[in-house]
Parts: sequence; C-alpha cells; structure tokens
Amino acid sequence: MTEVHVARGRDGSVRVTAGPVSGQTGGPDDEGVPGPDFTRCVLDVAGALLVWPVLGTPGPPVAEVHDVRRAQQWLWAVYGEGVAAAVHDAAAGHPTGRRLTAGTSALTHTAARLGFGHWAARWWPASYPDGIPELEGDVLGLELAALTHQCQELSDDFDDGVADLIEEHRAAVDPLLRWWHALPPQPDGTADHLERVLRLVDDAADCVGLDGPELQRLRSALDEERGHARASAPVDLSALFARRDGHALAAGAAPRAGGRVIARGAGTNDWRRYPPGFVDSAEHAVSWTARAHGARRQIEVEVVAHVSAPAAGVPLAAEVRVNGGGPHRIPLVRRDDVWAGRGELELLPEAGLPVTATPRIEVGVLLPGFDPGPGPDLGVEREAIRDLARRRLADAAQPSTDGTGPFLAEILAAAPDEDY
Amino acid sequence: MPPPSQPVDERRPRAQVIDRAWRDLGAGLESLSGPGGAPLTRTVKLIVLPLIVRPALRPELAADFLVPTEAARLAVLIRESGGRLRATARWFTLLKKTRRALGVVAGNPQDLYFQRCFELATEHGAPTTGAEEVARAVVDDLAQAGGGRTVEALKDCLADPALRARLDAELAAAWESRRPATDAAEALALAAEVLETCTAPEPNSSAYAAMVEVGHGELFGRVVWTRAGGVWGGEEPPAHLGLTARPVPARPEIGRGASTATLPAPLDRTLFERLFVVLQSSSRREELPAVPELVAREPGRSCAPLGLDDESLRVAVVLGARLAVGLDPLGTGDPGPGRTAAHRAVNGRWRREASVLRARRMTVSPRPDPDGGALEALAQDLRTPWAAYMRRLWVRLHGRDVRGAPLPDLASAWAVLDGVARSVMMDHRARVRAALRALSATPATAADAPEPRSA
Repeated sequence: MTEVHVARGRDGSVRVTAGPVSGQTGGPDDEGVPGPDFTRCVLDVAGALLVWPVLGTPGPPVAEVHDVRRAQQWLWAVYGEGVAAAVHDAAAGHPTGRRLTAGTSALTHTAARLGFGHWAARWWPASYPDGIPELEGDVLGLELAALTHQCQELSDDFDDGVADLIEEHRAAVDPLLRWWHALPPQPDGTADHLERVLRLVDDAADCVGLDGPELQRLRSALDEERGHARASAPVDLSALFARRDGHALAAGAAPRAGGRVIARGAGTNDWRRYPPGFVDSAEHAVSWTARAHGARRQIEVEVVAHVSAPAAGVPLAAEVRVNGGGPHRIPLVRRDDVWAGRGELELLPEAGLPVTATPRIEVGVLLPGFDPGPGPDLGVEREAIRDLARRRLADAAQPSTDGTGPFLAEILAAAPDEDY
Repeated sequence: MPPPSQPVDERRPRAQVIDRAWRDLGAGLESLSGPGGAPLTRTVKLIVLPLIVRPALRPELAADFLVPTEAARLAVLIRESGGRLRATARWFTLLKKTRRALGVVAGNPQDLYFQRCFELATEHGAPTTGAEEVARAVVDDLAQAGGGRTVEALKDCLADPALRARLDAELAAAWESRRPATDAAEALALAAEVLETCTAPEPNSSAYAAMVEVGHGELFGRVVWTRAGGVWGGEEPPAHLGLTARPVPARPEIGRGASTATLPAPLDRTLFERLFVVLQSSSRREELPAVPELVAREPGRSCAPLGLDDESLRVAVVLGARLAVGLDPLGTGDPGPGRTAAHRAVNGRWRREASVLRARRMTVSPRPDPDGGALEALAQDLRTPWAAYMRRLWVRLHGRDVRGAPLPDLASAWAVLDGVARSVMMDHRARVRAALRALSATPATAADAPEPRSA
C-alpha cells in the first residue's frame, strides 16, 4: 500500500504521482519522475503514460492520464478502485488534488517489470572494461513479448507491439527451447521461468494469429511437454546464443601516429547522444590524445566499441571543443575494437589566458541525426546505473534468490562460460 | 465526459465489474481470456460490451462507474451469458485451429472471428459433430469476404481500352468544368473556431455544421486548385500543405499500376493508385462498392474539390489543414499562428511522445544536421509536420468517401483528426525504429570480421 496523489494539470490531463515526488518538480516535460532519460522506465498504455524511476525503491508508477475514459479500463487494476474514482473525479472537474492510498496487484508488478525490460533493452550499460556483459537482445525481446501479453489489459488496440516483438526476436525461440530442455525440472527455478515465458509467447502468437516454423516447433514442444519427461543433456549456453565475449581491447595497437604528445585525457561518454549497441558504456570509453607535428596540432580520438557494434557503415562522430569554443566534429571509423578518428586541432587560447596555458579539451561521442544535443554532466547517474546492473547480475547468478526477479537475458549474461 | 460523481464507496469501475463477473464464470473461457484470467481487451470490446451489455439499449450501463444496482445488473447479464460464452470460446479455439490448418494468415483472428463465434454459439451452442465443416466454411468465407474487391480485379478492369477511353473523356470534361476560387479566409477563420471547441466535453457542433452547409470544404478545395501559396500567411507552407508535389494540382491520370513504396502525394495519384490504396488498406472490403462501380465513380471524385465528393469530409480537410499548420512535434514552442485547443491537445501528445522517445533512446536531432543521414530525413519530416499529417488524413477521408461514410458531427470529425495525429506519431516511431535497426544491422560485425573489409 502506497500513498499517491491525484490531480488535474493545466492541460487537462490527470496525473497520479507516488510518494513524495508530486507535481511541483517542474518543467513541461517532467513526468513526475525527475532525472535524466536513462533513469526512467516508460510504458505507453491506453490513455496514459506510466513512468517508474529505474533507480530507487520500487513502487507504483506515475501515470500521466490524457484520456481518462480509455484509462478506466486498467486504472482500477493497477492502483485500486479508489484511485480510479479519484481520476474520474479529477477529470470531471474536481478542483483540488487528492491524496489517497493505492493498492498493488499482480498487474502492477508485471507492468513495472515490463517497463524495466523495455528500459534494459535500450540502456543496459554493457561494457567490456567494466565487466558488464550485454543482454542477448532476442531473449530479452521474447520475454518482453511474454510480459506484454501478460499485461494485455493495459492496452486497448493492437499496437501494444506483441506481434512485432515476436516477429523481430523469433530467432531466440529454438535456443530457448534447447536451454529449457537441458535444465532439470526444479520448482521456482530457471526451468519454470523458461517454460512460463515460452508458454506466454506461444499463447500470444496464437492470440494475434502469428505462425511460422519456429512457432510451430514451439507449439509442438510445449504440447509434448505435458506428456513426456525431458531428455536432459548439458548444453553450452555461450554456443546456443553465440555470445560475443571475445572482445580483445586493442590497447596500444593503434598505428603509431608520431609527433609529440602534448596532452591526453578522457572524454565524456554521454549515452543519450547515440543509440544502443554502438559504444561501450564504460565511463572512460572515450579517450583522446593531442599531438604536435611541427606547427600542426592534431587530436586522435578513440572510443571503445560495444561488443556487438557493427563494423562499418555507422557514421559515429567525435565532438571536440577547445577552450569552450564551438564544437568541431571528427568522423570515427571502426578499427578492431575501437572507433577511431583523427582531426586537426585549433589551439586558440582561452580569452584572458596566456598562449602557453594548457588547453581545455572536451571530447564527446555522438551519432549525427540522433544526437539530441549535449546535456549536463550525468556521470553520477551513469555510475548508479552500472551499480544497478552489477547488483542485478549478481542476483541473477544465483537463481535461488528472488530479489530482483532477473530476466532470462540477465540469467544468461550472469551464467559462467561453461556447460550448464 | 463522465457524469458528475457519486460517493466513492458506492461506485465501482465498470471494467472491474466486468472483470469480476467474468472470473466468476470459471473455467472454459481460456481462449477469450488473457494469461491472468481477465477477459481479453478485444473480448470486452467486441463481445461483452456490444453483444451482452449492449449499452445502447441500457444507457445506465454506458458509464465508467456504476452504482451497486447497475453493477449487479451488469454482473447478471454476464452470468446469464456464461453458457454461450463458453461455447463462443470453444468455437474460437476451433476457428483458430482451422485457420492454421488452412494456412490462412491474414488479419487478426480476434477481429475476424469473435463476433462470428458468438453468433455460432447462439445458433448451435458448443461445437459438436459437423462443427469442423462449419468452421472451415466460416474461415473460408471470411478469408474471401472481399468478394472480388481486389487489386487484381482493379487491374483487369482498367485494362479495358474502351473503358480507359471513356474514363479519360470523363476526366477531361470534369477537370474543365471546375470553378476555381481565390479566397478561403472565411473558411479558415471558422475552422479555427471549430478547433477551439472540438476538445471540449460537449463540443459545439453548430460551427462545424455551418461549415458543411455553406460549403467551406468545397471553397478551400477550389482555392487549392489555383493558389500555390499565401493562404497560411506567407509563401510557405504551400496552400495545399503537401497534398501535391506541384504548386497546384494537375489533372489526375488513369494509371495502370501502383506500389506502396512509391505512392506520390495524394492529389498527384492516378485513379489506379487512389483505388489501390482503398483496396489495400480496407479491413472490411465487403463494405466497398464492387470494383467496376469504384472505378466508375473515381473520375468525378478525383476532379471534385480536394478529390472528395462528400462535403463533410472536405470540411474535415479544412479543419485538418488548419490544425496541421500549427503542429509543433519538435516542441520548439514557437508561437504558431493562432493555436487552438485542438493544437494544444495534439502538441501535448507530441510532447509526451518526445519524452517516450527520449526514454526509449530513439531520438532524432532537433536541429538540422547535414551528416544525419536517414535520421535527418525523419527530423526534416518533423519540421514540416503538415505534409505527413495531410497525407494520412486525406487517405483516411478518401476511404470514407469511397465507402459512403461521411462525418455527421464534430465529435466524429475530431475522432478522425485526432486519430490521424496519433497515426502520424506511430509512423514516426516505427520509422525511427527501422532506421536505427538498419544502422545496427550492417552486415559485418566485429566478432565476424576482425579485419576491416574493403568495399
């Protein structure tokens, strides 16, 4: 039971906020959950947005209800009927906000899990130097399809994405079946978890009328399972899912650039400025070296690549600023495990400083066309996210602990590289 | 708008009443239920509400909250239908099985079969001997419900040289007899008034009705025929807001083929392309006129103002256009020309969408970026949002025109305008997703190709 606040905003939408975070935090884009984009789980549901903080204690979501009638379909099930009635009243013109107690239900928990899964699919801080393995995208995608199906009450049309998720991630069906078949049945264990996900995927596919070879194999495997014992044979998980652990950092492997090193440093790895899957999430993934070649000054930028980053065809760029001047872009190309680039450096002294002062060089990495622009320094938040990922992986490594309710993809990522 | 509220403790959400009554029916409803036992959203929408609760006959059950006596009545209605619902569930399972066996994949089985299953349950009870035959007939029947209204039939029809000559003559005559106009200011002023009221709980339909009666849609269409710009306060955006790639629309051609990927702007489409879209996108093709009739009507329609015959649909174009020029999907906050309540509603939705896209790491740069590639093209579309909006709106209205489905009042018009705004947003999201997927799907990955490959 948690206290929530229900109030109508100026734009006519009704907001349900949990705990101490109420409507007064500010700006027009604020959803009642403060913090940078990568610290919020967002779910798009019938008539509303549901938002949870990724960090901090779990609780009911913040809801920004823009279509109260559509939202009535699930409000009672997520928050309880008292909150549903308060939202109804607020929309009908009840002038002041109300504070009341919200219940929780299975749907509340499943929705929060779905929200977190969508977050993980986009912001999981996979990093080779940090030792945070990536999550297998197809495995996570199928579990998201299963959870979406479980939360079917939340959406009122077919754009909840179940069909898309199954279509896009169907490649994981066969490996998941083999994993499941290799596990000894044990109550509340990974085998049960796998079976639950597989049955939900099968049911969801049946509901929306999807078919195909993988789904047919899934159906017959599930049908058989009712009658037969599994043939247990050890299975190599890393082979099943073709994990890419072979990231060999090319430290020192860069072609010798020559010249005299005049400065070097680490840049900013702002996750918001490029899509997932291209750049390693480590704080120091971006590094630069400034060299003097006679009178010329050059800067070399190296960015550790994400373990599954494509080798070519991605126009990633480094953004360089000297002494607070205008940004200057250097295109990056893939070389072994880094994105690397080199450009001329204009070392104009900062206003008021002598020419001999050490230049202040800021380097970032971004994808042109995607980049929403530079933002405030979010290093503390990024570190908190890495801590969260490490904690969850530690939990996932011991399937008996029920703390975080790890996703299959997390269990897989946390599994040691040996036969299961 | 919800009615004034009663005391909290007495009322119960109708959705909850339905959920509880459903669960009380017990086993045998799995195929109509979600994994947690609640009825599927589609079960409520397509079976429980329209076929069992029937709020049209029982207006007291149309509300979102019910007092105890109403809640009890609703629960009884569901309980009394228990047998029929269990039979419906078994028919649905059988139909899905039959569909798979017959290799039918088109369409969503819930949409296609729910209502039919309820009818079958009413007529036959649960499926018994001979049910397989019935099921096969139903699946076949629904798979062919188009009744020959296919693109193939359109192609055959338009292959006839005599018919083409006749259509060509009709197009020429109809295009010649157009009466262009030059000033739509009055229509646009009234459109702004209508947009100010359409989001209200009780929208005032009279200004809308006046626009239809006076023929403001027709007037705007006649202006679009002659004026390239200057309608929206400057030379940009163009008067037609992207409905044509030309300054003013040209006479439509007949055409012989079409492809979804290369469809031109709506008013530049051939007759073939216009009807192709209708045949492709209509989920209930059986409601369309037969193909020869579709073809016979299209020349006249294509030479009518805005390419539409029905005036209420043309007024919807005017409203949509007035709305589209004030859209601000990037949240620049520039004070657009005379933003109305409708603009605030739709721009508010874009603002929420932007926050979802940021949280889902699916952004496009708000500022023009020459290195931005495919994503920059998507951002560019957001900077001229009217074009995508008008394109989608026109297609939807044209579909209604063909089916003879006007927009009788402001509420139905707003539902279309708002729905188009939502579709444009969903399109954008899907395109960003596809663009990002294409970027990460470049063939050689680091693991496969440690050495850089030469192109």
